[in-house]
Amino acid sequence: MTDVLRIENLGKSYGSKAALSGVSFAVADNEYVSLLGPSGSGKTVLLRLIAGFELPDAGRILFDGKDIASVPAHERGIGFVFQNFALFPHLSVYDNIGFGLVNRVNAPVTDADALRSRIMAMVELVGLTGLEDRGVHQISGGQRQRVALARTLVSQPRIVLLDEPLGALDANLRTRMRGELRRIRSQLGVTFLHVTGSETEALAMGDRIVVLDNGSVGQIDTPDTVYNSPVSPNVARYLNCYNLFSGTIGGGTFSDGAHSFPLSGTPKPNASPAYAIRQDLITVRPSNSPLGSGEAGFTATYLASEYTGASFMYFFRAVDGHIVEVENHLSHRAPQNLDVNATYQLVWKADDALVYG
Amino acid sequence: MQTTIIKPVLGVYTALFLLFLYGPFVVLGILSFQIGPNGGPQFPIIEWSTYWYQHVFGLTPPSRIAPLPIYEGLARSLSLAFMTMIVSTVLGVMSAQAFRTKFKGSDVVFYLIVLGMMVPGVLVGLGLALVANSIGIDRTWWSTAFVLHVVYTFPFAFLVMLAIFNRFDPSVEEASWSLGVSPIKTFRKVTFPLIFPGVLSAMLFAFTLSYDEFSRTLFASGRDLTLPLAIYGTFSIEIHPNIFAFGVLTTLFSFALLAVYAILMTVSLRRAKRLAIQEDA
Repeated sequence: MTDVLRIENLGKSYGSKAALSGVSFAVADNEYVSLLGPSGSGKTVLLRLIAGFELPDAGRILFDGKDIASVPAHERGIGFVFQNFALFPHLSVYDNIGFGLVNRVNAPVTDADALRSRIMAMVELVGLTGLEDRGVHQISGGQRQRVALARTLVSQPRIVLLDEPLGALDANLRTRMRGELRRIRSQLGVTFLHVTGSETEALAMGDRIVVLDNGSVGQIDTPDTVYNSPVSPNVARYLNCYNLFSGTIGGGTFSDGAHSFPLSGTPKPNASPAYAIRQDLITVRPSNSPLGSGEAGFTATYLASEYTGASFMYFFRAVDGHIVEVENHLSHRAPQNLDVNATYQLVWKADDALVYG
Repeated sequence: MQTTIIKPVLGVYTALFLLFLYGPFVVLGILSFQIGPNGGPQFPIIEWSTYWYQHVFGLTPPSRIAPLPIYEGLARSLSLAFMTMIVSTVLGVMSAQAFRTKFKGSDVVFYLIVLGMMVPGVLVGLGLALVANSIGIDRTWWSTAFVLHVVYTFPFAFLVMLAIFNRFDPSVEEASWSLGVSPIKTFRKVTFPLIFPGVLSAMLFAFTLSYDEFSRTLFASGRDLTLPLAIYGTFSIEIHPNIFAFGVLTTLFSFALLAVYAILMTVSLRRAKRLAIQEDA
C-alpha cells in the first residue's frame, strides 16, 4: 500500500496556546482511518490544516508525495464533509451535487450530458433517487448528509476528510449511516479520514485509529489493538471503558495510596505510573469473599446503576472517594441485585489489568 | 397589576409617535388639494381641487404662479442617489467582507468609519467646499457632492453588511473551495446569492439617505441644485400649494420604491418559508 497522505511534524498555535504540535502519521490509499480525540484535542484543527482552510505554523503535509502546506484549498483536490453539512441553501439537491463539477478551476465539466450522468450516478449511489429536484431544506437530516457526501465524492477526490459527519444525526440514523459510509467508501476505493469524538464510532468505522491526545498523536493502530491495549493512560481514558488509578509502583505492586494491586508483567512506559482495568472485566462479589490467587481487587460502596439495554453500568465509590464503574453485559451475566450504600468486593484478574509507569 | 398601567401608557405613546411622524405629511397632503391659483397654504380649504397637481405637470393655463424650478433638481437627485447607491453598496460589501477576519488595526479602522457618521453634516460640507476652493476644484453635484454622499452613506451600507456577514456561516464557502472552486467564483456563486437580501437593504439605505441629503450638499454641490436644495430655494419667494402637491408625489414615489423592495424581499423569504413548510409535511 502506498501513502496517499503523510503528515510530518505538523504544528499550529493560536496566540500562545498550541493546538497541535509534532503531529505525524500517514494514511494509505484506499483506507478508512478514524481520528479519535476529546473536544479540544485539536482534531478539527488538524482536518482544517489538511484541507487548507488554515495554514500550519510548522511541519509538512504531503499529498501524493507533494508538500501542499501552502497550496490554496481549492487547488488541493481534497474532499471535505462538514459536521453541519454546509450545503448550498440556494441550490437544489442536483445543483448542490453538480456545483463542484461545473464551477471548479481544474477541468470543469461543461458537457451537459456528461454532467447529468455523473450526478445521477452519484445520486443513485448514495440513495437519493427521486429527490434530486428538491431544495436542500425539503429533505431530512440523513438525506442532507448524503447530499454532502455525494457533492464531495462526485469530483472523485483521492481522499475525503470527514469532520464528525454523523454528529448532527440522531442515534438511530447515525448507526445506519455508519454502514452506508463504509459501503460507499469501499465501492469507490477512496480514502476516508474520519474525525470523531465518539470512541464507539472510531472503533466501528476505522481500519486504523489515530488517537489525538492534547495536540499530538497518542496512538495509531487497529481498533482491536487500541481498544485492548491502549499505550497510555490518556488513550485509555478517551476509550471511555477503563477505570484508571494513578499512584506509585514498587516491590511488585501498584499503590494508589488507598489500595495496592499485584503487578503481572512489565509496565508500559509512561511519565507517571497508572493502573487501568476495563469496566467489563470487573466482577462484583460480597464484601467478605476473599481474593483468589492471581486476582486483584478492593472493597467499595455501591452507589447507583444505569441500564443501557444490553448491559448494566454499576457505580461504586472506593474508600478514597474514587468512583469506579463496572459494566455487566447481560449476554453473559445476569443482572445483580445490589443494595445501595452496601459494601462489595470488586475483583478482576491481575493479568487483565494494564499498568503504566 | 403593572401591565394594566403600562399597556395604556405605551399605547398612548405609540399613538403620539405615529401622530408626530405622519401628521405633518397629512397636513401637507390636505393642503395640496387647495383651490388654485388663488388659494394659499392655509386652512380652511376654500374648495377641494386637483389644480396644484395639474400645475406640477404644467397642465394649467398660464398664471402669475411660475412652474416649480425643481425638475432639473429632481433629475440630478435621482442620478446622484443612484450613483451613490451603487458605489456605497459596492464599497460597503467589500469592506464588510474585509472585516470578517480580524486584521492589524481593524478595531481602529472600524471606529474611524463609524465615528464619521457622527460628524455634523454642515461642517463636513463646508470643509469640503473650502478644500475644493483652495485646490481649485469646481464644486458640482456629480463630483464634490457625490464624494460627500458616498462618504455619508457608506458607513450605513457597511454596518448593514457587517450585520449580515455576522450571521453568515463561512463553512459553505469552505465547502465550495474544497470542491475546487476559486475564492472569486465562490463569492459570486455562493456568498453573493446568500447575502443578497442584505445587499438590497444596503442599497435602499444608501439611495434614500442620498436622495434626502441637504446639509452636506448645501455647500458641496455648487451652482446646480439637487432636489432638496431646489425645494428649499422655492421657500424664499412665496409658498404655494404646488410644492405640497410635488411633495406628495415624491413621497408616493418613495413608497413605490419601498414596495418594490418589500416585494423582492417577500419573494425570497416566501420561497424559503415554502421550502421549510414542505419539509415539515
